[in-house]
Amino acid sequence: MTASFTRTRAFRDVVVVIVLVFGVGSVAMLLAHVSPVDGFAALFDGAFGTRGEIAETLVQTTNLLFPALGVALAFRAGLFNIGAEGQLVIGGFAAGWLGAQFPLAGYLAVPMVLLAGVIGGGVWGAIPGVLRARFGANEVISTLMLNVIAVLLTTYLVTGPLQQGNAGASETGPLPKAAQLPDLLSDTRLTWAFVIAIVLAIVLHWVLQRTVFGYELRAAGDAPEAAKRAGIDLGRTALVAMTLSGAIAGLGGATIVAGVLHRFNTGLSPGYGFIAIAVALVGNLEPLWIIVASLGFGILASGAIGMQTEAQVPREVVSLIIGLVIVALAGRRVIATMRST
Amino acid sequence: MRKRFGAVQAVDGVDLELVPGEIHALVGENGAGKSTLAAIAYRAVHPDEGSVASDGVVGLVHQHFKLIDRLCVWENVLLNREPRRGWSIDVAAARTRVRELSARYGLDVDPDARVETLPIGIKQRVELLRELDREPSVLLLDEPTAALAPGEIASFFTTVQDLAKRGTAILVVTHKLAEVIAYSQRVTVMRAGRVVASHLTGETSADQIAREMVGGEVPALAARANTVVAPLLALRGMSAQSGTSVLREASFEVRAGEIVGVAGVEGNGQSALADAIAGVVPFTGEMTFGGEPLRAHETPASRIARGIRVIPQDRRHEALVLSWNVRDNVALGRQRALALAKFDDAAREVIERFDVRPPNPDALAGALSGGNQQKIVVGRTLTSAPKLVVAYQPTRGIDVGAAALVQSRLIEARNAGAGVLLISFELDEIFAVADRILVIANGAFVGEFDRANLDRGRIGALMAGHA
Repeated sequence: MTASFTRTRAFRDVVVVIVLVFGVGSVAMLLAHVSPVDGFAALFDGAFGTRGEIAETLVQTTNLLFPALGVALAFRAGLFNIGAEGQLVIGGFAAGWLGAQFPLAGYLAVPMVLLAGVIGGGVWGAIPGVLRARFGANEVISTLMLNVIAVLLTTYLVTGPLQQGNAGASETGPLPKAAQLPDLLSDTRLTWAFVIAIVLAIVLHWVLQRTVFGYELRAAGDAPEAAKRAGIDLGRTALVAMTLSGAIAGLGGATIVAGVLHRFNTGLSPGYGFIAIAVALVGNLEPLWIIVASLGFGILASGAIGMQTEAQVPREVVSLIIGLVIVALAGRRVIATMRST
Repeated sequence: MRKRFGAVQAVDGVDLELVPGEIHALVGENGAGKSTLAAIAYRAVHPDEGSVASDGVVGLVHQHFKLIDRLCVWENVLLNREPRRGWSIDVAAARTRVRELSARYGLDVDPDARVETLPIGIKQRVELLRELDREPSVLLLDEPTAALAPGEIASFFTTVQDLAKRGTAILVVTHKLAEVIAYSQRVTVMRAGRVVASHLTGETSADQIAREMVGGEVPALAARANTVVAPLLALRGMSAQSGTSVLREASFEVRAGEIVGVAGVEGNGQSALADAIAGVVPFTGEMTFGGEPLRAHETPASRIARGIRVIPQDRRHEALVLSWNVRDNVALGRQRALALAKFDDAAREVIERFDVRPPNPDALAGALSGGNQQKIVVGRTLTSAPKLVVAYQPTRGIDVGAAALVQSRLIEARNAGAGVLLISFELDEIFAVADRILVIANGAFVGEFDRANLDRGRIGALMAGHA
């Protein structure tokens, strides 16, 4: 199976997703004895009702956008990197530990912290890349396992050998002010991370479409046999793509630490790295479409709280919707793959 | 009968009648609708219009064998029709049934041999036996000789003629006109989904059938100019393996300004040869190019850099990215040398010189016909000024016009001083194009012939493995 099978007509998928979101959501709300009109009104009100809620929606968008871009890059190279969660956690840990351990000051503090996230995530992505390039190890298995290792390793480190905060607390010490990402909207959690993510998506789009590197990466993903015979080194491409993919997810983890939490906490991700796979697929693995997809998922994630408090619809309805979107898209692609082989 | 697939009218108002005791040949170019018609007759495909009527069972032998390699012969022959004894299979009865079947039709085969250990000719017997066990009154043969050596072809048709004498109606779908003339009683020619001619074979000729297939004169090949040959590629005791394809101790030369044809039946080491030269698999022994030794573990990229370009056998998987447009496909293999700015110029050059249709660099490669896809692959290879071209089945499954263009361009590349190694399973193609012919069988080179003194019978015997 190659990534070309996972890319289909974006427009059709978007329609499918929108129908699913509203259809499944309506059914679930009716089961909870709530009018779907009220339910969705509450959801959108929760996502856009106030300045703070808009900011929170964009925070969720940002947190999904980074790992989704990382996932998309790997998928475009034909690599099913489902380890964005682990890469994000390691990146966040590297950023948090460095930021709290060394009293960074001045303009370099934020870049250093973000760079730590890039390196941490990059290393965590390079491991399955090397395993694949050198030994042909299936990256699905290795990245999945590395997710678990990442969570357990960082938990062990912050509570054990690299403990900085209170004994037993599953977090690093706080980041000094200089190492925190500046706010984009004052008195909200929205920082310049949002802008970085959008710029990154545009850069990634350009790299994929307008550079020889992107051309070779897409060739390796879309037709590996033809790419190999055209002189493209598949092993090297896999290693580079996995490293970059992990680095992008790691940067996302670092922005959560430096922008939202101001410290690394083992609970920093409620599964961003997994939802990111769905976001990347809904965005048809196109970086610019993924911005739109992230916004959609961001609305669902941040509106869920408002929906629960205002319309008494359990917020699990949103998890249900997201889950069914993933199942539907994955199912469609499995069917497409079976037909084409 | 009519059948449409999407925008393509595959079969358009065809009537076909098969008579017991007659071998009926169905010919036409790729995409003419022959295989669709056979599938409709087999009732594997429903026609949009029209109907199929037959007395008794219809059997079909596929071009690509549909056998389970890891099972033995009787298991394949009787699959889903195994004689049973209670809950279990009556193995003794099954063996006896297969033995009787092979004796009745003179198709000698060991019922207990595992299919994967059998040579291709015997596999075809197994395939045939499986259909014969159902006692078909109509037997459809789809390109049955594609994988057979000339000698095997003769004995295969002896069996088929014998079946016809027993009263079976036989339809042979083929593109080999020599076989049509030699073995059929009636021939139907299809073009673009329609029947354009139907003859008693005795009343027509191969030339006439060819013209009817193409819908005009068969295009002539480019003239071969006198060239000065100079040493280019030399193999000494080179061995390699690619998948199941094995090449042993190959020693020969390809010189600049000549076309060397490698004649052989599919599966005799050709893939290993092509992949070793392409740098896709390592080799042992010695290979030199332009006097310099090629390293055993060199990558395809460095072979390309030396001026060695390979046209792979499987254009859909090994050569093209079907989901991409023509422009990006033309650049594949030269993406670094060209850089993105020159992709468009390169694409337009190939489209123009190789008559790619539609002449649109933005067209998706996957939407093009096989012939036009192959023009892209051959075009991008030959316009990159290669020193050596390895063309592996460059005209497989493409129409006569496109095949003639590809062959002509290979001759022109030779005239311009490139060395060409043409690996083909079609002896006619090699005879038409090559300056020298090497024969490959069982992974070894077993004979060499000059264009001036070709011996078709001898080459056929060597291809079949008779020294």
